[in-house]
Amino acid sequence: MVKKTVTVKNEAGLHARPSSVLVKTASKFESDFYISMYGYKVNGKSILGVMTLAAESGAEMELIFEGEDEQEALTAISELFENKFEKN
Amino acid sequence: MVGRIEFEGVPAAGGIGIGKAHILEEKQNEVSPEKIHQDDVQLNVEKCNRAFEALKEEFVKLRDDAKGEVADIIDAQIESLKDPELYKTILHKIESERYEAEYAIFSTLNEYIHIMENADAEWLNERTIDLIAIRDQLIDVARNKKQVEDLEPGSVVFATNVSPTSMIELSRNSIAGLVMQKGGLTSHAVILAQSLDIPCVIGVEWKAKRFKNKEEVIVDGDLGSVVVRPSEDERNVYVERKKKQKKKAEKILQIAKQPSETACGKKFKLQANVEFLEELPKVKTHGADGVGLLRTETILFQKTGFDVNAQLDFYRKVVEASGQSDVTIRLFDAGGDKLLDDMDTESNPFLGWRGIRMLLDESELLGNQLEAIYRLSGEYKGRIKLLAPMVSCIREIHKLKERIADIKDKLAAEGIEFDQNLPIGVMIEVPSAALMADRVAKEVDFFSIGTNDLTQYTLAVDRGNEKISTLYQPYHPAVWKLIKMTLDGAKKSNIPVTVCGEMASKPKAAACLFGMGIENLSMTTGALPKVKSLLCSQNMNDMKSYSDQVMNANSPDEVLTLMNKFGE
Repeated sequence: MVKKTVTVKNEAGLHARPSSVLVKTASKFESDFYISMYGYKVNGKSILGVMTLAAESGAEMELIFEGEDEQEALTAISELFENKFEKN
Repeated sequence: MVGRIEFEGVPAAGGIGIGKAHILEEKQNEVSPEKIHQDDVQLNVEKCNRAFEALKEEFVKLRDDAKGEVADIIDAQIESLKDPELYKTILHKIESERYEAEYAIFSTLNEYIHIMENADAEWLNERTIDLIAIRDQLIDVARNKKQVEDLEPGSVVFATNVSPTSMIELSRNSIAGLVMQKGGLTSHAVILAQSLDIPCVIGVEWKAKRFKNKEEVIVDGDLGSVVVRPSEDERNVYVERKKKQKKKAEKILQIAKQPSETACGKKFKLQANVEFLEELPKVKTHGADGVGLLRTETILFQKTGFDVNAQLDFYRKVVEASGQSDVTIRLFDAGGDKLLDDMDTESNPFLGWRGIRMLLDESELLGNQLEAIYRLSGEYKGRIKLLAPMVSCIREIHKLKERIADIKDKLAAEGIEFDQNLPIGVMIEVPSAALMADRVAKEVDFFSIGTNDLTQYTLAVDRGNEKISTLYQPYHPAVWKLIKMTLDGAKKSNIPVTVCGEMASKPKAAACLFGMGIENLSMTTGALPKVKSLLCSQNMNDMKSYSDQVMNANSPDEVLTLMNKFGE
């Protein structure tokens, strides 16, 4: 299991588009992926779960991965947060 | 009878519609917590799966025409339908709690809807409406309920929003017009309204005023106004305008009947691009000489589309509607952005696994389509052609031919007739194919130039990207050069060239293509009359020197200036 705390950097927060980019990317990996925030824990591959976190800009959350490709998944998802979910 | 009501909206599909109002009922969402028997669990799971699959397909189709924010919303909808937690909860309610699929869907989505409605974040409140739409559509599909019922032909339909499938149903009832509260200009419903000639106005807050079914309505799809209970004078004005439009349409029909030849007597061939069965009547009325491009993606998106017989049915209808002329069937041209669940993983779908690249990997899909086309060719000998999309190297043609040889062997072994010499052509839409046209020409029977993709690949400009939309220049000299190269390459092997992209549908661009020596153009049916009337009015020498000038132009602007000047 690997964990990392990240900050939502994009201005509008984790709204519909970033959420769908997030789950799309997460779904490429085998590993289980959870996001923990304010004591809530949601499946990071569930767009409805991610959206209902209603994470605003500046919010901190913990990313938790568990599985064979957990390291790769962690890198890919952290990058999304770094790049503010902009497609390259 | 109460007074006149007028609504202002956004004109979405042109024309004037006069008819009786028909208010499309809001769906009833009374879903009661019905329990089911253990034996019916599997049935309900399947029902639920079917509903999800069908709705996903519909959204994937909608996604094709979407841009910017709309595309983002549709993406989120598709992801919601793929949501593993949502599905898990619904499944649990069916399997363990033994609820009927409808109720399992209804109650699970309601839980999310409740959270979103009560969230502090405004953007999340706004998403509620999308989730309600998903909930209602899933239940409708699960119940096998149709959105459209008891509709009198000639009605003007008032709706909140119309799904693509309902839109096709509406058109079958030959409605006079469509008024929607929602729906964007790029929504599938609007695009269909345009291609089916149904006057349509969107963004109309029609629920704010009271009127009833069967009251008289005028829809002005050109200006975007909707009038309920018009005065007699007003009505007459519209009837007059409608008459004028009808005259114009009749002129189109006349043009359609004229022979396809230039003022100096040189013959040309104009064909139709077809995607939906609903477009077929126009193939004849607009004077198309057969179908130059039959897109097959739509049928293959339907679950039965993979089936050989279902495909055959579709193809037969198209061939029957084309008189005695030929029909060119393009193999399934889907890409990473369009199909199959595991496909949105591509980071660059337009440069990815699409067209022939995908088909060669999807053995069953390709096999079934080739079999359907070859069976068809036995029924309509000499009238069917096959076109392969997105070819970028000769190896792909060789591989395709191997598959075709297998299918021919199979049919021969079964004693089924087919056209031994069915022409096999390739789309020229990737610059590498255009650059190698002389070599590629030795391998195939004809070329069809897809100018839209050719432009986008040549100029490295994504058509859907609004930030660089000014760089998308189909008349760029580089594109013309590649078209010329393709034509020269084809000439060496003496094979015909067609243009089936948007360029062919613009009269002045078409005249230039014809001047270059491309005598066969295929376009959306709506464009046939205007292209034909320009070509008929010109003579060959003028078009030749015009195209020579275009070929020597240094910039897209120069080309545009030449085009504007031509024929004026």
